[in-house]
Amino acid sequence: MSIAAINEQLLRAIGVGVALVKVKSGAIRYANDTFGDWFGPIDGEVKLSELLAGAELMDALKRLETEDSFTSEVSFKRRRRSMTVAIEANRALDEGEDIAVLVCQNISRIKELESMIDSYAMMVERNTHEIRREKEHVEKLLLNMMPRTAYEEYKSFGVVAPRLFQDVTVLTLSFANFEQLIEDHDPAVIVSELNDVYTAFDRIGEQFGCERVRTAGDSYFTVSGVPDPVHDHAGTVANAALRFLRYLEQRNTSHPIKWNARIGIASGTVIGSVVGVQKYVYDVFGPAVTQASEVQSMAPQMRVGLHPTTAAKLDTPYHLEPVAGQELTLLSEAPVAKETQT
Amino acid sequence: MSKTPYEKYGGFATVSRIVMRLYDKLLDDDDVGPFFDDVDMPKLIDHQTKFVSSLMGGPASFSDTHIANAHHALTIYDAHFDRLKELIHETLDEFSVEPEDTLAVLGEFEARREILVER
Repeated sequence: MSIAAINEQLLRAIGVGVALVKVKSGAIRYANDTFGDWFGPIDGEVKLSELLAGAELMDALKRLETEDSFTSEVSFKRRRRSMTVAIEANRALDEGEDIAVLVCQNISRIKELESMIDSYAMMVERNTHEIRREKEHVEKLLLNMMPRTAYEEYKSFGVVAPRLFQDVTVLTLSFANFEQLIEDHDPAVIVSELNDVYTAFDRIGEQFGCERVRTAGDSYFTVSGVPDPVHDHAGTVANAALRFLRYLEQRNTSHPIKWNARIGIASGTVIGSVVGVQKYVYDVFGPAVTQASEVQSMAPQMRVGLHPTTAAKLDTPYHLEPVAGQELTLLSEAPVAKETQT
Repeated sequence: MSKTPYEKYGGFATVSRIVMRLYDKLLDDDDVGPFFDDVDMPKLIDHQTKFVSSLMGGPASFSDTHIANAHHALTIYDAHFDRLKELIHETLDEFSVEPEDTLAVLGEFEARREILVER
């Protein structure tokens, strides 16, 4: 076989479409089998314009009248399949006539893969977006259950190490006659009222620098000095307590259900930690917590009871009223002590 | 949580190959191919990617309403649905998906028959 014959065989067999076209007339002088497979059979005198995507091919050809070479892409449908062919066109001179040398590569698969990647990327982006939203949701829930610093620690290490807090003040609050209220009212009403009240407490507490630890039914428990130290933790909690009562008094004048609270406050040491393996709860416990609930149960309705640990830390502008024979001091705003129901 | 076929068979790396294979089969098939005569390639690929991915328990799940809307204009009969099911089966076999996983995928597909097929 001659070299020329081998060349021709090779040209036929390669996966590249090759055609020689007269630039002026668009008449095809030569096309290999691959070219024919893609654009349509080349039998005898076929013009480029008669092939699949003929119009686009002719446009490409026109460019060769002014340019020596260029590359372009044509897309067309062949048997319901979208084909995209990349064309490299060069102008050559043959016996005084301009001839276009078209070298074509089938890049349909690349286009299909590009489309698939686009589609997949969009799915992934949407998923990522959903996951981020979900994460924010979970974070919000967890931040309701533990202070941010504890949450950060939990996120980084998977655990929250118990910590001893030396100088903190604890406030516990519960409502008088809660059992009666539950009996007398629709549970939904009670829950919605408590929701209201606790939200107000949270807001007030936040203003003064208290961190709510938990609520359990009719008891509300907040603390100052955990997890971040607060200089005047006793004053902070005393102020919040007085504001809690003022809020309730005001609320009671305009609502059918009267909420009468007892508040107990104590200062000292507590331990803060996440408790529970499956159901994480950030909890605070220790002597100050126990003492706070002790004075809370001794305090009259709508009064703030101070344990000596806190009373010792408070001075002006509060009015302190020690109760004889008990480890209890009643707190009110100075200078005029407000006498409320006992 | 047990792995979905999507995760088990290598995520998108495998799914992309399955998509391309199924795409070829669908277009070359004389029974179901004609449904795609007038569909643009990017749209069809997008559809197939989501289709295979969600059948295998990957990202992008179609809601049944979405599926119903997308096929609203097409007249699909049981024979077409069965043929497509065969093509999915063949394709999964080519990728050595275990028979029980194939059955699960086909089950997901079968569950939508009523939404798609004309009665």
